[in-house]
Amino acid sequence: MFNAMASPWAIPPPPGTQGQYGYQQSVPAYHPVQVRQTFNQQPLSYAPMTTQQAPQAPQPAAEAPSQRKKIEWPQPVRNYVQRSFDPSNLIADIPRPEMEARLKQTISAATDSNSLHTIDWDNLPLPQVMIQQERAQNALLWRQESVDLHLAGSGSVNSARDMTSRKRKSQDVGRDEDSSSTPPWRTTNNRNGFEDRVTFQATNERLDRRQQPSSPDDSPQRNISKFQKNLEKRQRRFDGGYKSSYQASASPEPTSGPVVGTCQNLEKKYFRLTSAPIPSQVRPEPILRQTLELLKKKWKKEGNYSYICDQFKSMRQDLTVQRIKNEFTVTVYEIHARIALEKGDLGEYNQCQTQLRALYAQNLGGNPVEFKAYRILYFIHTCNRTALNDVMADLTPAEKEEKAIKHALDVRSSLALGNYHRFFRLYLDTPNMGAYLMDMFIVRERLAALSNICKAYKPDVKLRFITEELGFESDGDAAQFIFDHNGQDLLVEQSDELRLLTGKAGSIFDSAKKDAFSTVDIKGQI
Amino acid sequence: MDQVFDEFKDAYERGDGYGLAMTLSPINPPSQPDRLYTFFRSTNAASAIQDFKYRILYDNSTSFKLSRDEGNCWVDIYFAYWKTVGEILSAGNATKANSKAAWTKVYEAWKELTNHLVRGYNSGYFEAWTVPCLYVVGKYIRIFAIKADEGAVNNTGSATSFQDDLNPEAEQNETLEDAARQLNRLFQLCLGDRAPLEESRKWGIYNIINLLFKTYFKLNSVSLSKNILNAIQVYRGDMPSFDAFPMAHRVTYKYYVGVIYFLEEEYAEAEKHLTEAWQLCHKDATRNRELILTYLIPCHLITTHTLPTASLLAPYPRLQNLFLPLSRCIKRGDLPGFDAALVAGEEEFVKRRIYLTLERGRDIALRNLLRKVFIAGGFEEPKEPNAPRVRRTRIPVAEFGAALSMGAKETMDTDEVECLLANMIYKNLMKGYIARDRGMVVLSKAGAFPGTGV
Repeated sequence: MFNAMASPWAIPPPPGTQGQYGYQQSVPAYHPVQVRQTFNQQPLSYAPMTTQQAPQAPQPAAEAPSQRKKIEWPQPVRNYVQRSFDPSNLIADIPRPEMEARLKQTISAATDSNSLHTIDWDNLPLPQVMIQQERAQNALLWRQESVDLHLAGSGSVNSARDMTSRKRKSQDVGRDEDSSSTPPWRTTNNRNGFEDRVTFQATNERLDRRQQPSSPDDSPQRNISKFQKNLEKRQRRFDGGYKSSYQASASPEPTSGPVVGTCQNLEKKYFRLTSAPIPSQVRPEPILRQTLELLKKKWKKEGNYSYICDQFKSMRQDLTVQRIKNEFTVTVYEIHARIALEKGDLGEYNQCQTQLRALYAQNLGGNPVEFKAYRILYFIHTCNRTALNDVMADLTPAEKEEKAIKHALDVRSSLALGNYHRFFRLYLDTPNMGAYLMDMFIVRERLAALSNICKAYKPDVKLRFITEELGFESDGDAAQFIFDHNGQDLLVEQSDELRLLTGKAGSIFDSAKKDAFSTVDIKGQI
Repeated sequence: MDQVFDEFKDAYERGDGYGLAMTLSPINPPSQPDRLYTFFRSTNAASAIQDFKYRILYDNSTSFKLSRDEGNCWVDIYFAYWKTVGEILSAGNATKANSKAAWTKVYEAWKELTNHLVRGYNSGYFEAWTVPCLYVVGKYIRIFAIKADEGAVNNTGSATSFQDDLNPEAEQNETLEDAARQLNRLFQLCLGDRAPLEESRKWGIYNIINLLFKTYFKLNSVSLSKNILNAIQVYRGDMPSFDAFPMAHRVTYKYYVGVIYFLEEEYAEAEKHLTEAWQLCHKDATRNRELILTYLIPCHLITTHTLPTASLLAPYPRLQNLFLPLSRCIKRGDLPGFDAALVAGEEEFVKRRIYLTLERGRDIALRNLLRKVFIAGGFEEPKEPNAPRVRRTRIPVAEFGAALSMGAKETMDTDEVECLLANMIYKNLMKGYIARDRGMVVLSKAGAFPGTGV
């Protein structure tokens, strides 16, 4: 990720490129990218979602801000311009400057791509019509974006925020370079005002010759110091002018409301978002459904947890950014929670559990009983009394009678009362995947029970008794457990059976128990 | 309007902080049921500021004089107050559907008032005797926030729940969380005052802290209270001595601190603070005494294994309902009865967050039952005629098992009986040991059940 941000070569996928993941692309100066620079210069009144625009006849390219060579405009072009300005063709709600800008852009694009003579100017939609179509397109998208538009609070702000993030990014680049190295020319530049001015012009000229689009200085959103601008220009001179295109288009076009994904790839690596999501990298629900099937198969076949976890995280992210909340969402979280449980990844499990709680509250289906039971066991593990009290307050009398929940509540009360006998019976009879959670605290509870037994029983007990009371699978396991906690001297053989000298245990298990309880690792992340 | 400002000037000249605060009260006093309405109707949005300015700053008919800056600050405050009153009046008339929006507006207006007040203090215009204004502002910002959030639950159901994918509870209490931030500002305002103690805003701090505690409890984030306690701890050297604060602030503060420790299972500490609160509390403040006892009684059960007497509970029928059934069962050693009473009261216990504590009373009930078995065992045959009688201290596990199975639906198996006995021994409720191979419990000859006389 650092690479993608810092490399001057990192260029986001151009509009319409689908399924590109990551920013790495080796692309030379790219025409469509330059368009946005032109956009940025306009007082933006529309412009979101160019990514989704219908393909237009001429590939729009940037106008060069400088004087062009005199061009003989072909007659069809002249007619086109004339028609654009014809009052009868004007559209009321499209301001003239906007139309003019589009016109200018269309023509210069055609000039740049040498298609001035090939485009069918007579049938090309007028600039105002293009704008109108674009708006309609956007409106359509807006409508698709589920019911809750206004609550995507981010929605309306999105474009502004996007600007900010873009700005920050470009500034960050400058700052990074500041801190990492202080090249000699930089200091000179800073001090010598005269040279400064000279280079300024020189750079501009050079840029023009290279058909570099408008220099970033012109863009009004940029709020960076003159020094930084000059710095950038210098850098650009050295690296051939690609830098600016990177900076100007570092983030995707601003979107409004929840993203509607267009990515068709089933698999996608998880990547923590640092800016607004890019629709082309977000998978829509139908694709995600296929992804889930694929992942289920892969998990069965390969059992590669780090891969699966990563994939599920990216699925969850796609669901979240698109604000998809339905039974499918519940399924994704439930499956991820189960897999995380199986692997003892409590960190991920807890994230899923938190979301599931919110999802169940909306009655979207799924298996609330199963997961509410896990939740209780989880809070037993983390010794979170307050949360346990809250869970109990949330349960309805009917839920308390459900097998899994009743089991979890019984586990809680048996531990609260120190009834280890009942606790280990419950452990051996845990529904669903609760045993994975109980495994998390079984050791400490065994230690607690053991220190209890050692204090109460004199002079000794059969090892068999320990095995049975503490739910070990065999005497061997029980003995191993005692060995592991420095109790080897307490095991003696008497008349063909192993006995535990409880009377001599002292505080061995008591202190081990205290240690075990003091280090509850909640994160438990792998 | 004149009445409000007459009272303002009067309180100001007398240096009466509570009187001053009363002029900002957003509810009608019983003696003047139309006060808010009259005040709101006495001017309008266009001329309110001029009217207030005239009365506070330019009225020469009285000797009352304020500095220009301070006067303007009060004008801002009363203008915000006037707007709040307007919103309150319209919220009172709003239909159920609109009540959220209406109360949110009240909250916003009141918050503006808060801001002006805070600014006045920060600029040094207001003296410390005016802190009761902070009490009023803090009290109602919390109340208005709760009202605004209540509206939220009624109205926007699906919409709000969609938005948050992180914290569903935060959404429901959005306004109240903001109120907590405002209260925290007031807290800092009091805490950070460097004026000498006799004219310090620190005198108002416990009132604000209590409001904060209240808010944190409501927000289910009791842990935040710890930050306040830490801050107070850090500043304790620069504070007036606790005894010097108003009694009402102290009682409430001690109560909350006690409950905070109670929830952290630090029962000894909790007992200390709650006992202080209990002793300071006015004897006729029944409701407060009841609240204190709600936590003090479970505390005592854990720390000293004692139960409330009938005469203590006599004035509090609610507490009788809460604790008497359990108490009776604990005394009798009636385990099935205890379990039933715990289930019966579960909802209320959980709500008051005392369930997990009371549950531990089962140990005492169990101890009492086992003690009965011990006593029923009678005495050993005396070896010599005149020797003092000695209780039978070797008791078969089966005898305890029989007692434990009484009243229960099924017989408890021996291992579980032993487990419960082991627990009693482990927790020092019973002295002795289990000789498993012989199926015997051997109890101490001197005090088998510590603290119970046998």
